[in-house]
Amino acid sequence: MGRRRRSRSRERGPAIELLLQVLANGVLLGGLYALMALGLALVWGVLNIVNLAHGALIMLGGYFSYYLFTATGIDPFLTLPLTMAALFVIGYGLQRYLLNLIVRAPMFNTLLITFGLDVVLTYLAQLLFSADFRTINPSYAGAHFNIGSVTIPLLRLLAFALAAALTALLAIFLTRSRTGRAIRATSQNLDAARLYGVAPRSLYALTFALGAALAGAAGGLYGMVSQITPYIGAELTAKSFVIALIGGLDNPLGVLVGGLVLGLAEALGTLYIGPTFDNVISFGMLVLVLILRPKGILGRTA
Amino acid sequence: MKSGYSRLVIGALLALGMSMTAAAQGTITFGASVQLTGSLANTGRYYKDAYNFAIDQINAAGGVTVGGQKYQLALKLYDNQSDANLSVRQYTQLITQDKVNFLLGPYASDFTIDDSAVAEKYEIPMIEGGGASDQIFSRGYKYIFGTLASASDYFASTIDMMGKLDPAPKTVALLYADDSFDVSVADGTRKLAGAAGLDLVLDSRYSTDASDFSSILSQIKDKNPDAVLMAGHETEALNFIRQAKGLGVSPKMYAFTVGVPTADFRQALGADANYAFGMTTWIPNSSLKDDYFGDAEQFDKAWQAKFDYAPDYHAASGVATVEAFVKAIEAAGTLDPKAVRDAIAKVSFDSLYGHVAFRDNGQIDLRQTVVQVQDGKVMPIYTTDFANKPDYPMPSWSDR
Repeated sequence: MGRRRRSRSRERGPAIELLLQVLANGVLLGGLYALMALGLALVWGVLNIVNLAHGALIMLGGYFSYYLFTATGIDPFLTLPLTMAALFVIGYGLQRYLLNLIVRAPMFNTLLITFGLDVVLTYLAQLLFSADFRTINPSYAGAHFNIGSVTIPLLRLLAFALAAALTALLAIFLTRSRTGRAIRATSQNLDAARLYGVAPRSLYALTFALGAALAGAAGGLYGMVSQITPYIGAELTAKSFVIALIGGLDNPLGVLVGGLVLGLAEALGTLYIGPTFDNVISFGMLVLVLILRPKGILGRTA
Repeated sequence: MKSGYSRLVIGALLALGMSMTAAAQGTITFGASVQLTGSLANTGRYYKDAYNFAIDQINAAGGVTVGGQKYQLALKLYDNQSDANLSVRQYTQLITQDKVNFLLGPYASDFTIDDSAVAEKYEIPMIEGGGASDQIFSRGYKYIFGTLASASDYFASTIDMMGKLDPAPKTVALLYADDSFDVSVADGTRKLAGAAGLDLVLDSRYSTDASDFSSILSQIKDKNPDAVLMAGHETEALNFIRQAKGLGVSPKMYAFTVGVPTADFRQALGADANYAFGMTTWIPNSSLKDDYFGDAEQFDKAWQAKFDYAPDYHAASGVATVEAFVKAIEAAGTLDPKAVRDAIAKVSFDSLYGHVAFRDNGQIDLRQTVVQVQDGKVMPIYTTDFANKPDYPMPSWSDR
């Protein structure tokens, strides 16, 4: 009886259980997307640098987590703070000693240097880590549970929760703490911030380091749900770019919304249009957002 | 007519000039452009190592005798950085500037389709061991030969085997990436499945390098097919399996075109690699005799000792391309590209890779052997009959 009802509804379109499952998939994917884009959006918003090496930093975070996990066997979620700390240090160094040299240069130069950085990091990674696929596979990697007819993969739920938590923490840091306010102040009006005693050099380095640390966290999670190779960076940068623009650069919550919107759009697009079009969907959304809400979905209207 | 004639003369002079410079040095140079870096570097390395290994081994055995004179083999290799456009430029450079004698192929069909056009234009024979798409061999080209099995037949032995399983799968989901090789596989598989009376309940083309399969997997769960056949790349197969576990999707069987026989695949998945069906045209056993390496088993050992990783059919196929050239050059008794081309069309010899002989369209005739990962080992299961017992049906993830 139930079976017949299901097959009849299938003729009209995907059954309601399938739709719910796909919506859940989209939301969970969106959380991971948001975390990937968070660091890119932060650096872009404050430093006005579109960091084309962002995906490469995610890749480095993935390798760092992978080696920590295979060497120590400690739960990869517990070692994420270590990965974030390592990427924080790398990010701080990159900004202080490389990007700071060109922070006043035109946008095109910063694009070039981060692109170069991406190439260098990618090929260094191949030299050091080889092109083999690496996966971070804790014992519970495939665990899942059901809510009604919807299956929730545990790992993706944890990744989603962590992404949401880091977004919230970043938002609180930027609005409540003195340093966070200083970061926002420099992005809004550099001269006025200087008059109030803000030293942009160290703040810029701190911001970039935070962005890199968030990329590190995203990399660790990415290695758990997918696999790491030296070449994942470029596509992750592109995705992050789309998400940051969809969500807007004004606040971290926008990035979370951007991630969710993209995750849902891709999931529903796969279901209704076909999985070969996911890039058309994401970049199509980007064009729509740029036309309709150029400051992002949550951004202030221009 | 006249320009055709003068082209012929120039071509003949060029060929003469090339064979003369080669004769002076006593060296036959092969040119190739392979993915040493970039997203395909993981498989590209098989070809670099295979070409070098085969050439070293043949040189050590005394090289090649052409018209009574001994020649040593050499390789001019470029890294195409996994960029098909760069690959075409490099093959053009190999012919026009480096003046190599013959061409060995790149990895992957998309590359081979473009690069073989260069070989055809300059009328320099290319034997490739890395592209299986039917598109490469359906254009009437005369200078391209391939040692991989035809893409449209990739799932033929798998579908044969499915008919003999108990209970035999009745419904099938077909997933494939949107590149030319996998589209060819899917076109062939659709016909084979139809002929076998299988019901195709899902037929889905996804974008190459897709990392998220959760929506496709949810559709599979909804349609509940007995078998999933996936034609894609290794990274996609890995994502598919890991996410299938995460969503608790387990059909009675799933089979993949590539990835399963590689060491990398088992390493990345651990115990989750078990039950995956794959295919290979090559299993390194001692029944495959070879003039230079003894047999496939010895080759397998020698390779692992030299390169520190296990060879798979890509490696054997790469070695076979070099050996096919050597056989053809010796048979032709000259380095003239046209004469060698005609000799390649006639080669017929046993190698560590299997019997090498080309059909009229330039493609080899090889049947896939179905393999399955059982307890972390790749086991041959079925070629025309069962070699080992398949683990079927696959238990649900919670029972593994």
